[in-house]
Amino acid sequence: MGSLVTKAIGYALLAIAAAVAVLPILWTLINSFKELHDIITPIPVFIFVPTLENYSTILGSSAVLNGLKNSVFVVFGSVFFGAILGIPAAYAIARSSLRAKAELQFFFLSMRFTPPVAIAVPLVVLYLQLNLYDSVTGLVLVYLVVSLATIVWLSVPAFARVPLEIEEAARMDGCSSFVVMTRFAIPVALPSLFGALVFTFVLLWNELLLALILTAKNGTLPVVAAAITSLGKEVPWGVINATTIILTVPPLLVVGLILRFIKINARAR
Amino acid sequence: MSARFRWLIIGPSIVYLAMFAAFTLAGSIYLSLQNRTLGEKLSPFVGIRNFQRLFNDHRFHNALAVSAIWELVTVFGTMVLATALAVALYEYVKRRQLRDLLCLLFLIPILLPRVAVAYIWRFIYSPTLGIANYLGTQVGLPPSIFLSSPDGALYWVAAVDIWQWALFYTVIIAKLIETLPPEPLEAAKMDSAGTLVTYGQIILPMLSAPMLSLALVKSIESLRSFDLIFIMTGGGPGTATETLDLLVYQVGLNLTGRVSYASAMSLVLLIVTAAGLAAIWKGTRKWAV
Repeated sequence: MGSLVTKAIGYALLAIAAAVAVLPILWTLINSFKELHDIITPIPVFIFVPTLENYSTILGSSAVLNGLKNSVFVVFGSVFFGAILGIPAAYAIARSSLRAKAELQFFFLSMRFTPPVAIAVPLVVLYLQLNLYDSVTGLVLVYLVVSLATIVWLSVPAFARVPLEIEEAARMDGCSSFVVMTRFAIPVALPSLFGALVFTFVLLWNELLLALILTAKNGTLPVVAAAITSLGKEVPWGVINATTIILTVPPLLVVGLILRFIKINARAR
Repeated sequence: MSARFRWLIIGPSIVYLAMFAAFTLAGSIYLSLQNRTLGEKLSPFVGIRNFQRLFNDHRFHNALAVSAIWELVTVFGTMVLATALAVALYEYVKRRQLRDLLCLLFLIPILLPRVAVAYIWRFIYSPTLGIANYLGTQVGLPPSIFLSSPDGALYWVAAVDIWQWALFYTVIIAKLIETLPPEPLEAAKMDSAGTLVTYGQIILPMLSAPMLSLALVKSIESLRSFDLIFIMTGGGPGTATETLDLLVYQVGLNLTGRVSYASAMSLVLLIVTAAGLAAIWKGTRKWAV
């Protein structure tokens, strides 16, 4: 055991980290219920008359609702098609020879190496010519690259943990490769696969750059949020705080799922 | 599994990604050899003039330097802080529920959209209205102008990136330590080795392979600094926080729409990062085995 001093330092470090992890978002939540004059004070105000005005402002704004709708379509669409293509691909990789496995995994990971801005410049030129600029379809086509690369990357280990005996037994019973995959391998790996999909969902829900560049009026929620400060001269901090909270709710709902996914993966290493 | 079935289920993904990669790469090269702006459809070819111009472009050199600092600070900051916190978590929090609760809290920052994170911290950092200066002056620190400081702004933004990633990696590294066999740790304690020695010489070396992978992933993710910097400082003050992706955006898409020049920049960015990361990847693979 370390000395009492290191122990104290350890506890202090953890306590500070826990506070720093949570307080910023709590502070934002509190501020989202304040009127502007309660927010822009040099000394933080903790006692105030709460208001729902900020939320009614943004939920009444057609730009925000449109962004929300686009986000839902684009993100779910990309994760859905990414799963349809990526999960079988990950299964094939997991059942490949060691060497092919390493090469294929590198291929999929290398898609994440590309800086998004490097993709965006030629794409915006092409999209303008193909009438895909500012469309949900165009955005799904790009996000599919991100979702495919991520889903494959995270699903290969999930399949690697499926005991081969199950698949061999099914094959002995005369099941085709397709049936072995859909009826046996995928259901057994499902908890981890689900984690991979949730992770991909969060990644895409939070994406700003590609959506900002490839859309104008049909942006996703992060694009709409990013544009709020440029609306007027006075920064509408109340509205920004409320938008931040709304943008943050979906990813926070899945925090428990993500923790479980990390645990499964660490244990199986 | 037959070879035919294997290709049937993996083929579409590979074809889609390869087509996409080939197209964007070819598109970048094609554009970079022209002198085109976003509105135009046709433009003369100018050979490698765009690349030659990069050599003398001070703003580009500045962006390279800012990106390099950003990369170093965020990757090292994340790894060092996460390792320290993970060791503290494993060593001092023995109760399962409490440890899980802390892990849950530590996961929150990484899940927040970067746009949201940027707004949250921009307000916290506000020199006159922010809670950072309020709390700082309460404990006797001099007030800071944070994001308006040409020398400090990049580090204040990097601190936010580290806030997200170090807490996330704390959870992962703590879970990795939990999976290690307990015997070496106990043996070291029997020899009454100090905590630091135990971890520095026994535990962390056992985790070198996954830790290197984590560092690699972080260095890839650190290249995506755009959202945070775009909203927190917009690259300013001046060009103090203008990383390469921000510069490409400003030049190629935002105001001037000089897509050809921006393409040349993004090609340089692509080549440098792809070569660097591929080398690290091959290196860590060798180490891992």
